[in-house]
Amino acid sequence: MVEQTLPNREKQPLQGREQTRPGRHFVPDVDICEYEHELRLWVDMPGVTERNVAVTLKDGVLVIEGFVDPSLYAGLVPRYTEYNVGNFYRQFSLSENVDESRIGAKMRNGVLELTLPKAEKAMPRRINVAAA
Amino acid sequence: MALSSFEPNPVPTGGLLSLQDALERFLRNPAFSLGVSGYGAYPPVNVFDDGDGLVVIAELPGFEPSDVNVTGQNRTLTITSRRKGESGTGVVGFHRRERALGEFSRSIQLPDEFDLSRAAARYEAGVLKIQVPRRESAKPRQIGIQTA
Repeated sequence: MVEQTLPNREKQPLQGREQTRPGRHFVPDVDICEYEHELRLWVDMPGVTERNVAVTLKDGVLVIEGFVDPSLYAGLVPRYTEYNVGNFYRQFSLSENVDESRIGAKMRNGVLELTLPKAEKAMPRRINVAAA
Repeated sequence: MALSSFEPNPVPTGGLLSLQDALERFLRNPAFSLGVSGYGAYPPVNVFDDGDGLVVIAELPGFEPSDVNVTGQNRTLTITSRRKGESGTGVVGFHRRERALGEFSRSIQLPDEFDLSRAAARYEAGVLKIQVPRRESAKPRQIGIQTA
């Protein structure tokens, strides 16, 4: 991908999904890349640490939640703001068969990286063609 | 400026709600100017007062701390960095590509009462926090009252 000057894209508020937790929720930006043996996802969730993230996979639906810690703002009085903060939520239906027991997740610099290994039956198989 | 403060509630959700309301009230506050590079540039910034000075916070997920440069010159605070992409070998294809990659430079002007030569910056969990203390000469001073 050609490097560019980063555009200013406003955080996307979560819509059309009622949450039990009150307040604004945001939809994190995601990259999803398919590799030969796995899917990898990168999810931007600034302010979320590995202690405040939840990833679940059930019935082929992957749910990603990130929670921000409002206590980081204790004692701070706003003077001027350009963005709001809130918890992150996003879900995907996986079309690929994923080996749930081998899912890997790590959090670094506010980005969640997920590795979803393809299940054996979903792997492409080369079929040997014999000469007649 | 009207007297207003954000008091975090001991109940976690209440704390987040009152924080969101406080941030909403000061959205693009016209009483506080950032100079020529105002709203619209990447990254968006929030500016707070912590009593000792200003605290500038920006969300910069996925940057390497060593790649984030913060400089102060006179009244101008400048943040520059570059976000690189992750890939590797064996890529079949991208299904989604929403995260922008590339470089940015944003400069904001702070009021003269803040001392950028004593500023400190910290990058944690994709959030950059820059503390800029108030000049000694700009701190409130008790004025003695003499009696006749």
